[in-house]
Amino acid sequence: MSQVETKLRETIKELLDRGEVDLVVGHEAGSLPLRSRPVFIRDAADVDRLVWGSTCSNNLATHLPRLFVRPKNSRAEYAPPTVGIVAKGCDARSVLGLVKEHQLPRDKVVIIGVPCAGMIDIRKAEESLDGARIIAAQEEAGTFKVETTAGEKVLTLAEMLADGCAECSHPTAPEADVVIEGDARPAAGERYLQVEAFEAMTAEERWDHFTSEISRCIRCYACRQVCPNCYCVTCFADQTKPRWIGAADELSDLMAFHIGRIFHQAGRCVECDACVRACPMDIDLRVFTQKLPKDVEALYGYVAGVSAEGVPALLTFSENDDQGFISEP
Amino acid sequence: MKRGKIDKADLGKLLVAVSETAQCAGPVADRVGVKLEMLSADSALELAYDNFALSPKLWFFPRSEVIASGTGDALETTLLPEGETVLFGLRPCDAAALELLDKIFLDEAYLDPYYKNRRQNTTVVALACNEPDAACFCTSVGGGPGAGAGADVIAFDLGDALLFEALTDKGKALLTQHEKLLNAPTGDDDAAKTKVIADAGAKLKPVKTDGLADKLSGLFDAPVWEVIGERCVGCGTCTYLCPTCHCFGIYDEKAGEQVQRIRTQDACMFPQFTLEASGHNPRDTQGVRARQRVMHKFSYTVDNVGETFCVGCGRCVVHCPVNIDIREILEEVAA
Amino acid sequence: MSEAREAGGWEPKIVAFLCNWCSYAGADLAGVSRLQYPTNVRIIRVPCSGRIDPLYIVRALQEGMDGVLVSGCHPGDCHYISGNLVARRKFALLKSYLDYLGIEPGRVQFSWVSASEGSRFAALIEKVVEDVRALGPATKMVKTPVGVQAAGAAPVGAK
Repeated sequence: MSQVETKLRETIKELLDRGEVDLVVGHEAGSLPLRSRPVFIRDAADVDRLVWGSTCSNNLATHLPRLFVRPKNSRAEYAPPTVGIVAKGCDARSVLGLVKEHQLPRDKVVIIGVPCAGMIDIRKAEESLDGARIIAAQEEAGTFKVETTAGEKVLTLAEMLADGCAECSHPTAPEADVVIEGDARPAAGERYLQVEAFEAMTAEERWDHFTSEISRCIRCYACRQVCPNCYCVTCFADQTKPRWIGAADELSDLMAFHIGRIFHQAGRCVECDACVRACPMDIDLRVFTQKLPKDVEALYGYVAGVSAEGVPALLTFSENDDQGFISEP
Repeated sequence: MKRGKIDKADLGKLLVAVSETAQCAGPVADRVGVKLEMLSADSALELAYDNFALSPKLWFFPRSEVIASGTGDALETTLLPEGETVLFGLRPCDAAALELLDKIFLDEAYLDPYYKNRRQNTTVVALACNEPDAACFCTSVGGGPGAGAGADVIAFDLGDALLFEALTDKGKALLTQHEKLLNAPTGDDDAAKTKVIADAGAKLKPVKTDGLADKLSGLFDAPVWEVIGERCVGCGTCTYLCPTCHCFGIYDEKAGEQVQRIRTQDACMFPQFTLEASGHNPRDTQGVRARQRVMHKFSYTVDNVGETFCVGCGRCVVHCPVNIDIREILEEVAA
Repeated sequence: MSEAREAGGWEPKIVAFLCNWCSYAGADLAGVSRLQYPTNVRIIRVPCSGRIDPLYIVRALQEGMDGVLVSGCHPGDCHYISGNLVARRKFALLKSYLDYLGIEPGRVQFSWVSASEGSRFAALIEKVVEDVRALGPATKMVKTPVGVQAAGAAPVGAK
């Protein structure tokens, strides 16, 4: 067990014992090798379930808004809980973004900042094994001892690092109420490389990639459901008045859904890659989600979720905003 | 012909011969993993795979299909696709799932002509498993790596060769049609087959499922559901990937001058699944929706058609974004 | 009258979302002034360019429109003070995004036309129609009619 993990458990135990939080959302070991999953700790006796490492990739902020929903038909006085969240940089940015959009009360959320060294991409682990399957895995300080059907293998975080983490701008929480000290990865110097490579392709190549990837979509909406920013009670994709997206499995409707969902993230996406990981069809979503954060930063100097203050980029304007796209007859 | 063997190197020839009288689909390498796809002359056939990400139920119960169309006042049932299809490469769990779906879609009282048409015109050739995946648990729900339920023919991978065994008349007819390309299996082949299946079975982690249906009926109000629901994000991944989930929605949509009635797959995990026009939702928490899915598959279908609707394929376990593991839920219930 | 029309060939179908206070009035002025401009455009009046949801543009392309034009008041002149200024950000990002995906840039265009700019409006339509004509009929986002589903996993319209 790492020092950070020990400190994390101790800290959360204290917070619960002192009544400073009613519950903490963190990560626990998953039921499959190299997986972890969200856990909701309400009892100090359960803190030993908490883990911290490079498999803790879920964006936990997505679970928070639901915890603050008033119970229906309740005559009792509603007292919102105080919720702690184990937060990497991306989780914390999502929380701050949700606070900015009035979806979470900042004074009722305790951001417990943890040092993020980067998350593994399980697909990269699987691909490096030449067909052998993973039976079990043990993490220790940046390396993974993996037991496979073809014997034991050691894989490093560097080999399996998720693409999103390689370009991460905020490995640690920009704002945290409690900080667990430790070694985080440095903020990436070069970002949006995947987007730039895609921009360099011809329009036909880009369209081919977009259509071939999106045609794999089965409309399970996992991408939407794991995203902390997708909290609309009725998503545009489910609206019937008007019916934006048809019921049938039709390619241009699939594209319209993804264009719509991704565009709704403009100025809000914190690049946590939760949608990319959640997709059961392994759609190359990242190259499509990262273009808008890049443009918003380049055009308007705005980065989502670094502060709970201020106005979201698409709710405001500047007199000097770029006009190069305007057609002049 | 009841049984036949073919060298893997000649498998391509066999599938070409099959394609002459029927559309033939088989396992083809995809950008990630392997998928079941209509074969063409240059398909890259792939036999080393766990399972397809998408279950083959799609070939009988597509994600969306037009079931009727017309103009004005009258809607006509659409013509059903014709022609024979041979599906090669279904794992025994997915083939067993077809037998379960038959109980729903081929029930005489509620016969589904679209499903029936596809099922009748399709010959299923299963491919037994030599190596289970980390999340597989078919033996805990009445299946096995070499089980033949739902298939017309089952193939065993013996390393250099495939051993085919016909399980139904349709299967026998298929093998007989191509018997010139098949050789008689030997006693060694049978021994190899038995060993391969036994080895695979031994690797499976059993899940306790005794008395599950009965125990579940007493757990309707148990707190376990809200615990699961707290983590569940409400996507349709588990349902859409599941080989036995079969709920569907029907929508009428305009297409040019016509109205089309479209049937699509649906998922009880979506909040809108039970949303009523008044705005009331009888299943208004994720915990209640999770309970519905587990109850439907392990309790209600047992009451209704005498079967558990889970074949232990493990897709829901592998792909759930929050790692909700049905095996853990079952063990907690069966305890 | 274009040669293609006389020959009975394809004509671009353009939908133009015009804001009520400036661009629509500008279009009206063009009409009242008897200025000739191509008849390929179908006009939809909206209260403000800020009303335009990117989904309108995507939907127009899905319905088979060869080109989409959105026009509002000049920045600083919005009847609702800042509707077009907020919209400007949305449009810049949308145009960049659709281009990034591979949709021809000339198909979706944005402009500012004031109520007194009848001739500017006519010239704008000329430009948009010619840009779209050069690109040919739209095929990329067009919705394919769903027919009897062939067996298998590919969605309708996929290759």
